[in-house]
Amino acid sequence: MYENNLHWWTLPAIVVTAVAGQPAYAVQYLTVAQAQKVLFPDADQFVSQPLQLTAALKRAVERYSHVRLLADTQPVWRVLQDGEDAGWFVEDEVYGKHEFITYAVALDSNGGVLGVEILDYRETHGGEVRNPDWRAQFTGKHYGDELKLGRNISNISGATLSCKHLTEGVRRVLGIFHAALK
Amino acid sequence: MKILNAGLLAGLLAAVLVTPARADENLLGYLSGAETLPAGAKEAYLWVTNRRGKGTGHYSAFDLEGEFEYGFTSNFQGKLSLKGLAVDTRNILIDAYIPGDRKFGPKLSGVEGTLKYRFLSPLINSFGLAGQVSLSRGWLDPYSGRDKNTTSLGLDFLIQKNFLDDQLISVINLSNENTYADRSPIAGLPPGFEWPTEPEMEIEFRAGTGLSYRFAPRWFVGLETFYETEFETGVGQERWSWHAGPSLHYAAKSWWATFTWMRQIRGGGPPYAGQTDTRLHLIEKTRQEFRFKIGYNF
Repeated sequence: MYENNLHWWTLPAIVVTAVAGQPAYAVQYLTVAQAQKVLFPDADQFVSQPLQLTAALKRAVERYSHVRLLADTQPVWRVLQDGEDAGWFVEDEVYGKHEFITYAVALDSNGGVLGVEILDYRETHGGEVRNPDWRAQFTGKHYGDELKLGRNISNISGATLSCKHLTEGVRRVLGIFHAALK
Repeated sequence: MKILNAGLLAGLLAAVLVTPARADENLLGYLSGAETLPAGAKEAYLWVTNRRGKGTGHYSAFDLEGEFEYGFTSNFQGKLSLKGLAVDTRNILIDAYIPGDRKFGPKLSGVEGTLKYRFLSPLINSFGLAGQVSLSRGWLDPYSGRDKNTTSLGLDFLIQKNFLDDQLISVINLSNENTYADRSPIAGLPPGFEWPTEPEMEIEFRAGTGLSYRFAPRWFVGLETFYETEFETGVGQERWSWHAGPSLHYAAKSWWATFTWMRQIRGGGPPYAGQTDTRLHLIEKTRQEFRFKIGYNF
C-alpha cells in the first residue's frame, strides 16, 4: 500500500534553483546623450529644463492622453542649433509587461514629432518596437492628431503591450508639449 | 515505482526546462486571462497543487501538471499537458469515495489537449474575450488515488478587462466540463462499503472572477474567487463549493512563478458520515489548496 513518496516541494525547488541564477536582463540601447545625437545630429547644445508636473498640468495631460503621469518631474531638454531653437528632447517611461520601457521623443519647435528612440528595453518579448519602420509612424504627428493602436498606428503581433504603451506615451509627450512647452 | 517516479520527474522537468515561456502568463493560480501567445511562440509550465484537509484523519494530495503551449497564430494557441498525482490519505473512510488508506508518490495520471482562440484583445479592444476547448483522458481518481478511467470535454469562456494603464487586470471565467467516468473494482473493501463501478457522467460548472495588480516592477498581487458545482448520473447536484484566495506572481525575463492559496469558503451537498464541519463540501474537495506554477519562456 505504501509506495515510494516524493516530497511535493521537490519539483518547484529544483526548477526555481535552476532558473533563479539567470542574469539580469535590462538592455540599454542608447544613453540619453546618444539618443540626443541620433535624434538631433546637427544640434550643438542640449539645455536641461526639467519640467515640474503640477497637479493641474497632470490633469490636462492625462485628460488628453488617457495615460497617467506617474512622476512629478519630466526630463526635458531644449535643443539649440547655431543659437536657435531646434526643438525639444523629452525622455519618458511607459509600462512594459513587467518593467518600464525608457524612450525619448524628439519634437520640432512646433511640436511635430521628429523621431522616437528606445533607450532601455527590459522585457523578454516585444523588442520589435525598436523597428525603425514602426517608430517612423509617429514622425510628423502633432498634438490633436489621432494616435490609436490598431487604427492609425499599426500593431506588431507579439509586441502588442509595448506598441500600445509607447503609442500612449507619445500621445502623452504631445500633451506635455501642448500644455507646457509650446 | 521508483523508476516511474524518476521518469515522471524527468519528463516534467524536461517539459519546463528544455522548452523555454511568453504572453499567456498566469497572473492567477486558478483563473485565466484572454491573452494568447504570439505566433510561433512557445511556453512551458509546471504546476504543483497540494489539496489538503478533509476535516478528519490525514489527507494530502498533489496534482502535478507539465504543459507545453504553442502559438499557431497571434489569436490561436494549443497546449498539451501531462498530469501526475500523489496521494497520502490515512484514517479516512468515505463511502463510495475514499475506501481506505493509500499513499504513493507521483504517478502519471492523465493527458490533456487544449485549444484557445482569442476573439478580442484586452489591449486593443475595450475588453478581451477568448474561448477554450479541452479534451482530457485520465486513469486515476484524483480524490482517492484509485483506478478510474475518465474522458472529459471542457469549454471555457475567458473575459479580461484591464485598468490603470494595464497594471490592474480583471478576469471572469465561465467554464463547463463534461466527464464520462468508469471506476475499476477494488478487492477487500470494508463490509457494506459502496464502490460503484457502473459508468457515470459528471457535469461540472464553474464561474469565477479575479483581480491582479502590479504593485512593483515584476511583482503582481492577486485575489480570485470561484463557485463550482457538479451534477452526476443518478444523483443530480452532487456538490457545490465557493472558494477564494490570494495569489503572488513574480516575472523575470524568461520565467515567471505564481503561488496561490485557495480556501474553501462554503460548500454543500451531502456530507460524509461523521463530518463535523457541514458548512463545507469535503467529500471530493478539501478545506484548502496551495498551488505553485512556474513557466519558462523561449
